[in-house]
Amino acid sequence: MAAMPSAAGLTRALPAGCPPALQLVRRGSKAVTRHWKAMHFQRQKLMAVTEYVAPRPAVPPRCRPPDTGPRPLPREAFRDNRMIAVCQYNAMAGDDVVLLRHYLRRHNIEVKFFLNEIVRPVLAQSKYRNLLPLFVARNLLLVSREAKAKEMLRVLKGVPQVNLLGACIDDTILSRQGVENFAKLPSLEVVQGQAVGALSLLPSQTSSLLQCSSAHLTALLDQHIRRLQEGEGGAPVQPSPEPTGAH
Amino acid sequence: MASKIQVVLRPVKSIVVRFCPFESNVESTRNFLACINHKRIQATNKNCEVTADVRHDGSEPVVDVMFVDGDRLIMKGANLTTVEMLTALGTRCNAKEIKEEQKSKKKSL
Repeated sequence: MAAMPSAAGLTRALPAGCPPALQLVRRGSKAVTRHWKAMHFQRQKLMAVTEYVAPRPAVPPRCRPPDTGPRPLPREAFRDNRMIAVCQYNAMAGDDVVLLRHYLRRHNIEVKFFLNEIVRPVLAQSKYRNLLPLFVARNLLLVSREAKAKEMLRVLKGVPQVNLLGACIDDTILSRQGVENFAKLPSLEVVQGQAVGALSLLPSQTSSLLQCSSAHLTALLDQHIRRLQEGEGGAPVQPSPEPTGAH
Repeated sequence: MASKIQVVLRPVKSIVVRFCPFESNVESTRNFLACINHKRIQATNKNCEVTADVRHDGSEPVVDVMFVDGDRLIMKGANLTTVEMLTALGTRCNAKEIKEEQKSKKKSL
C-alpha cells in the first residue's frame, strides 16, 4: 500500500531549474507511531523480496517410512508377557482408574488400553487368533510377566466396573472360569514336590522288599539256633522248621 | 448414539447381563452393559445393582431386568441392537414412572 498523496499535506516547491515534481509529505507523523502506519512503498518492495522461504526437504515427507514413535504396541505386549487378561471396561472415574493401576502395579501387572482397530489386525496374523471375538466394545488389557492370577482376581473383585472376559496364560487361552481354577491351583514348586514324592515312593520301598525274604530267613534260623541251644540244655532235639521264603 | 439415550433406572431393582464373550453375537449386549454403567444413568438410581455374568458355555446373550414392582424384562441380545435394547428399557421405565406419579397423586388427593 503506497502512501497516497493527500491534498491536506504540505507541498514543498523545489527551487527553479529542477524538473517540476511535487514532493508530498503526510501530515506530521513520526516513524514510530501508536497507530498502524503503512510502510513506505520502497520498504514494502524490499520486504516482499526478502521474505523467508523455507528450505524444501530432500526426501518429501510422504515418501519417508511412517514414524511409529514411543507408543506401546500390542505386538510387544503380547510377545513379552506371560499373562494377558482381557477385561471389559465400563466407565469409571479417573481416580478409580488410577487406584486400580496402582494396586495392580504392586503385583507387576500393567494396565494397557488399546483400540480395537489396532489390535484386531495384529491378532489376526499372530497365534492369538482365537482371542479375536473378545475385542469388541471397550476393553482393557492386563499384562504381566508373571502369572499372578490370584492377586489379579482379588483386585478385580473390588472393582465391579471391570469384568474379566478371558485370559491367555503361557500360550493357553482360558475363560473366566479357567482363570479362577488356575488361581486355585497350588504353586509350581508345590506341585513339583508332590509329583516327585509320589514317583519316589515305590523305589524307596524296593530295597526293603528285596531284603525282606533274606531277613525273614535270618530271623527263622536265629530262632532255630536258640531253640537248639535251649534243647541241649534240657529237652531232646526238636525237628527244625523248614526255611520258608528263600527262593 | 447409544450414549445419548436417557434411561431412568428408578423403577429398576437389578439388571443381570449374561453373555459368553467368545461368541460372535455379543457386541450389542456388551455395548448395552457399557452404556448402563455410564455415570449419568447410574446416577438416576444408586440402589440398582448391575451385574455382569460372564460364562463360556455358548449360551445366548441375555439381559434380565427386575423391576421394583415385581415385573421382569428379559431381552435376548443376539439379534437386537444396543439402541433397541436401551429404548425398550427406557420406555418401560418411563411408563412405570408415570404410573407411580399417578398413584401418588391419587393418594395425595
